[in-house]
Amino acid sequence: MTKPTRIAFGATLAILFLVVLGVGAGQRGNAPAGAPEPTPRLADGTPNLGRVPGEHGVWNVPYITNMGERVVRPDGTNVVEERAAARGRGAARGRGDGPLGGGEGTTDGGRGGAKTEPQVPFLPWAAAIYNYNSANQSKYDPEGYCLPPGGPRLMATPYPMEIIQLPEQKRIIMIFEGATHVWREILMDGRAHPEGDALNPTYLGHSVGRWEGDTLVIDVVGFNEQTWLDYFGHPHTDQLHVVERFSRPNKRTLHYEAVVDDPGAYAKPFTMRWDIPWNATGELTEYICQENNKYMWRLTDDLGQPLFGKKP
Amino acid sequence: MKKTLAGIAAASVFALATATAIAHHSFSAEFDADKPFILKGTVTKIEWMNPHTYFYIDVTGTEGKVVNWGMEMGSPNGLMRQGWTRNTMKIGDVVTVEGSLAKDGSHIGNARAVILASTGKRLFAASSQGQTP
Repeated sequence: MTKPTRIAFGATLAILFLVVLGVGAGQRGNAPAGAPEPTPRLADGTPNLGRVPGEHGVWNVPYITNMGERVVRPDGTNVVEERAAARGRGAARGRGDGPLGGGEGTTDGGRGGAKTEPQVPFLPWAAAIYNYNSANQSKYDPEGYCLPPGGPRLMATPYPMEIIQLPEQKRIIMIFEGATHVWREILMDGRAHPEGDALNPTYLGHSVGRWEGDTLVIDVVGFNEQTWLDYFGHPHTDQLHVVERFSRPNKRTLHYEAVVDDPGAYAKPFTMRWDIPWNATGELTEYICQENNKYMWRLTDDLGQPLFGKKP
Repeated sequence: MKKTLAGIAAASVFALATATAIAHHSFSAEFDADKPFILKGTVTKIEWMNPHTYFYIDVTGTEGKVVNWGMEMGSPNGLMRQGWTRNTMKIGDVVTVEGSLAKDGSHIGNARAVILASTGKRLFAASSQGQTP
């Protein structure tokens, strides 16, 4: 190849790369032309976190594999937002109208274990478990067994979800197509969490909510220890206490923040955040994970023995 | 040169398209992204089921030996959002499958794309590759 040909080739490649990137950015940004429509509201002025009557729409929950990268650091940034800014895009946004109803469609970085995540205040045992889950590529992820996610992972596991507000009943229902097709009830009647043995540990915990201005604040306790915080395997204990904040700054965006406080696994509370895009044409379909889970039946332990399937 | 560029463009578009897939379990716990395959065979069985649709193909080797391979795709809801229906692929269809081999050496693959011989149509298989590291 002559020098001018090489330069031409390089330039063509660069242009092609930018064009392809541009296509990708357009898809991922999911932004319809023009300014986003304002936050829809119910008759009483409360933000409507769901559909406008007569329209379709679902929240395209992103697939966030490593929540360590979403943890807000002392300087107010997190790894994913910093990476997105370096690429010249806005904050990491998910796709709204992707064909799968999934979110960002990217693999988060990491896998270096606890030492690469100084922003996560692991207790020593939690760091050791996390390193183990990193080293074995999350092969024992409970979601791989078709068990539901608990806590913030509900808002980070495809497929789409909907929020149904029932103000006259003083409760909010969240329904999830993915994440093992589960639903969540948020009690909005002002009650407190049950105490003592009345608080039975469950996968999704006990949720009570309230409105703080235009933000729905949900306090969740009563988690069992059968879930991971994320696919990467950040552990938690039954002392986990999550405070979630949902807001809809415009029609197409659900902003999600969660404060994770688990003195059993982490030295101090930490905050995670991400945006969830609205898919204006989407509808939920059925997804029953337990139907034919061959992964689980083939899974072997560290000694090569079947975990659930028949012994050979 | 033209051919190379077209190849790169196709590869880039392919990477974007497959990046939207959804996983239910760890890809790398079961499959090896560094062991890609392209296999052509005849469909013998289809399990249009959750959390992964499986189909099986008879592949004839160079010495005439027929091996039945199991291929993992996405879940039916994910595949339908990609344009599939339960009748897109039928028993007896000849297909070419592109994907990654199982780590344990068994005759199982993670399908990224399926090309139907009858139409030449290339369908993305809602693979988990690229979704979970």
